[in-house]
Amino acid sequence: MEFTREIYWNVGHGFATLAPMYGLLLLAVAIFVLGLVKRLKVYRLGQPLDRTDQRRERIKHMLETVLLQTKVFRVPGAGTAHAFFFWSFFVLFIGTTLIVLQADFSDLLFGIKFLKGTFYKLFSLTLDLAGLTAILMLAGLLVRRYLVRPQGLVTKGDDALMHGLLLAILITGFLIEGARMAVTELYVPQLAAWSPVGWGVATLLAGVGEPGLRTLHIGLWWFHLLLALAFIAVLPYSKFRHILTTSANAFFADRGPIGKLGTVNLEDENTEKFGANELADLRWKDIFDADACTLCKRCQDRCPAYATGKPLSPMQVVNQIGEIAFTKPDANLIETIGREAIWACTTCRACQDICPASIEHVGKIVEMRRNLVLMEGEFPGEEVMAAMEQTEVNGNPLGMGYASRGDWAEPLGVKPLSEDPEVDVLYFVGCYASFDKRNIAVATSFIKLCQAAGIKVGILGKEEKCCGEPMRKMGNEYLYQTLAMETVEIIKGYGVKKIVTTCPHCFNTLTKDYRDFDFDIEVVPHALFLEELVAGGKLPVKAEDFACTYHDSCYLGRHNGLYDAPRKLIRSMGGRIAEMAKNRDQAFCCSAGGGRILAEEKLGERINVKRVQMAVETGAGQLLANCPFCLTMFEDGVKGANVEEQLRPRDIAEVLAERITSENA
Amino acid sequence: MNILICIKQVPDMESKFKINGEGTWYDRADLAWRMNEYDEYAVEQAVRLKEQVKDADLTVLCIGPDQVTESIKKALAMGCDRGVHITDPDSSQREPITIATMIAGFAKDKNFDIIFTGMQSQDRGSAQVGVMVAELLGIPAVTTIVDFAYDNGSIQVKRELEGGSKALVTATAPVVLTCQLGLNTPRYPTLPNIMKAKKKELLALSPDTGGIDARQETTACYFPEKKGGGLVLEGEIPELADKLIQLLKEKTSVLA
Repeated sequence: MEFTREIYWNVGHGFATLAPMYGLLLLAVAIFVLGLVKRLKVYRLGQPLDRTDQRRERIKHMLETVLLQTKVFRVPGAGTAHAFFFWSFFVLFIGTTLIVLQADFSDLLFGIKFLKGTFYKLFSLTLDLAGLTAILMLAGLLVRRYLVRPQGLVTKGDDALMHGLLLAILITGFLIEGARMAVTELYVPQLAAWSPVGWGVATLLAGVGEPGLRTLHIGLWWFHLLLALAFIAVLPYSKFRHILTTSANAFFADRGPIGKLGTVNLEDENTEKFGANELADLRWKDIFDADACTLCKRCQDRCPAYATGKPLSPMQVVNQIGEIAFTKPDANLIETIGREAIWACTTCRACQDICPASIEHVGKIVEMRRNLVLMEGEFPGEEVMAAMEQTEVNGNPLGMGYASRGDWAEPLGVKPLSEDPEVDVLYFVGCYASFDKRNIAVATSFIKLCQAAGIKVGILGKEEKCCGEPMRKMGNEYLYQTLAMETVEIIKGYGVKKIVTTCPHCFNTLTKDYRDFDFDIEVVPHALFLEELVAGGKLPVKAEDFACTYHDSCYLGRHNGLYDAPRKLIRSMGGRIAEMAKNRDQAFCCSAGGGRILAEEKLGERINVKRVQMAVETGAGQLLANCPFCLTMFEDGVKGANVEEQLRPRDIAEVLAERITSENA
Repeated sequence: MNILICIKQVPDMESKFKINGEGTWYDRADLAWRMNEYDEYAVEQAVRLKEQVKDADLTVLCIGPDQVTESIKKALAMGCDRGVHITDPDSSQREPITIATMIAGFAKDKNFDIIFTGMQSQDRGSAQVGVMVAELLGIPAVTTIVDFAYDNGSIQVKRELEGGSKALVTATAPVVLTCQLGLNTPRYPTLPNIMKAKKKELLALSPDTGGIDARQETTACYFPEKKGGGLVLEGEIPELADKLIQLLKEKTSVLA
């Protein structure tokens, strides 16, 4: 027997079928295009931005993200269901395309049929299973959204439309198949077996009788067709649009360096406005991002500000921009989103990192901050303004006299490059390790380690100034650029070959943001530098068993993907790491990023206390950090959480310095 | 309305101060410089007044070496219209009357309605210059103002008195007002204003001391001798409180 089926069975393949079918298709496509054009016009309200360079990489990334669902798959549960639904639906789409190809082209024009034999068997089975998977996944998602109702999940009319339409398409598909099979295949089990779901439906419908089945079939066929065309037509007008926009956004995604902000041209005297307080100040990608958002709330679930009751949800910010773009393009961005939300961001990047839609949340927030700072002279509080002024005067936000910046290093015999420029590495100390007593202890440990490894370290001493990171993230691009240009000039003047930092904020800024100032000197964060020294046998460690937990700072972790090296280093000194519930790329911020180190945390719960509590829950007595901001926040957090006796925050370098074998120390 | 704001550039008080070779003043090395805090209140109040009355011209004046133009630029960025720099590398050695004479010499034919300045400088702290300028110009001076209101030609200020009490003083232009902490929170200059400030007029004048001979001299400048150390109390809070009370009773008269 021939394994195949008659396409257009019971429907007919003549003009009477094809003309209305393709006529309706054209109409659906026309509505679709119209909707798309309307949206394109809105995207164009934004400023230009080139996101079409590196096309090969962009296409590759898009195909991976979309076809393999790599980002969606990162969150089990809903993510898994979406991925399987996508794959099933994609298979059904290919199946439908094959049918169209054969019935309306190859067979119609050339008499070629390929949906037969073994290929047909596999085709039929695959499509049946895909349809079943799609229904099951969709049902699961439906239960989640409408019965389980996870906290923070926004459900709108769009969601009902999507679930309803997709389910209707899938179910009518099986009913059509069942009705057809009840007439044609029910008594041909060797054929029906290749359409198991359809066979099941056919068995249920068998009692209806052929005339009834034929009426049911043709009715449902046209209904199914209308549903499918409706799906095309409503796509740009509903959340279905994410099929296109989210996929396209993977192509338009920021290609890094991760967390590097765009440098504002401050030299151009014609620029009268800085930052964004209106839609037209943003880039087209910022508007497009809103259309790519599926409200999956993964960003919101991970936002440390949101989690501690502050009025910031990254998802909401993105969608408020979309709402302004499509409904009231003249509205004031900052008034709509709210200052408190804008200032609450710690730029921890948890939102952007997890986003399956390649949305860039942080840049938008910084643009609005730039407007507040550069155009209005506004800050989240007077303490932040004072820190900015202190940095202008003394080159550090702590308000310490600049000339004493290198004092801590004197007893260690470390000289500034102005006195001795012949060094192996320049240690860019940073403000906290220079002036803050707790962090001077870290700097001291780091120097002792370098000395034990026979590495000659120099510092800039009183010539060093803040790298400008907190100021930049707070929106003070002018002060940042002033500091950056001075720092670049000084470091370059000494012909430095390699720089080591103990502050991930300095590291990220020097190694990425400073590129815009022609700075390309190698910069290594101390966690990596020390790990390499230990691994290379240059730093003999006397491993001693100890329990600890490890906090991935946002700027070493999510910003630079350094998760394993610090852990390897901790293990090499005998550390047993009890991981916190949120670790690695999902680590919970300490609260100090985004320039928040300069600001008082006035709203909601304290982020650092929450993080310290997570550390306490591991039962390990030590919380190892790699960042002076984190360390400062944790020292404060253990007091706030009243767990000073249970948890001791320390930098990796401090613990390592205690474990250097004496002959080298 | 014609307004003059007199400012001084002073070292940041967190700087590493050293006494100079002559032992008469601080050494200029390793110091970070900024606008005298009280003068910032003066600049801010003048800018606010201009924002209120719209039609006002703000001249900011500073005496000192070339580096003080940085402070003038800050005042221009905050909203002053023009800058005057009396270039005097020796200003730190001048006594108050000499400084006041230079200012009055510049101001005498300019018909300033209000002259705002700080109540004193953070480094020398003589608190004389503003008052002497008023005297030299023959106009009234109201010192240590913590509140300012202007309404149709009449000026009402609040003065801070000892012990926390306040006095309301009314005056009419021309007048010198010296500003105290609490008057306002100086603004952070916006970037467009910083850019504009670079193009504003900045007049450099040579110092005219009016032939006044020195009438006073700072003969020595030194850090106070260290007397004993601080005392850190440790222990439980109730215990600490008892210890503190005992110490206060024994060594001080606050509980007597």
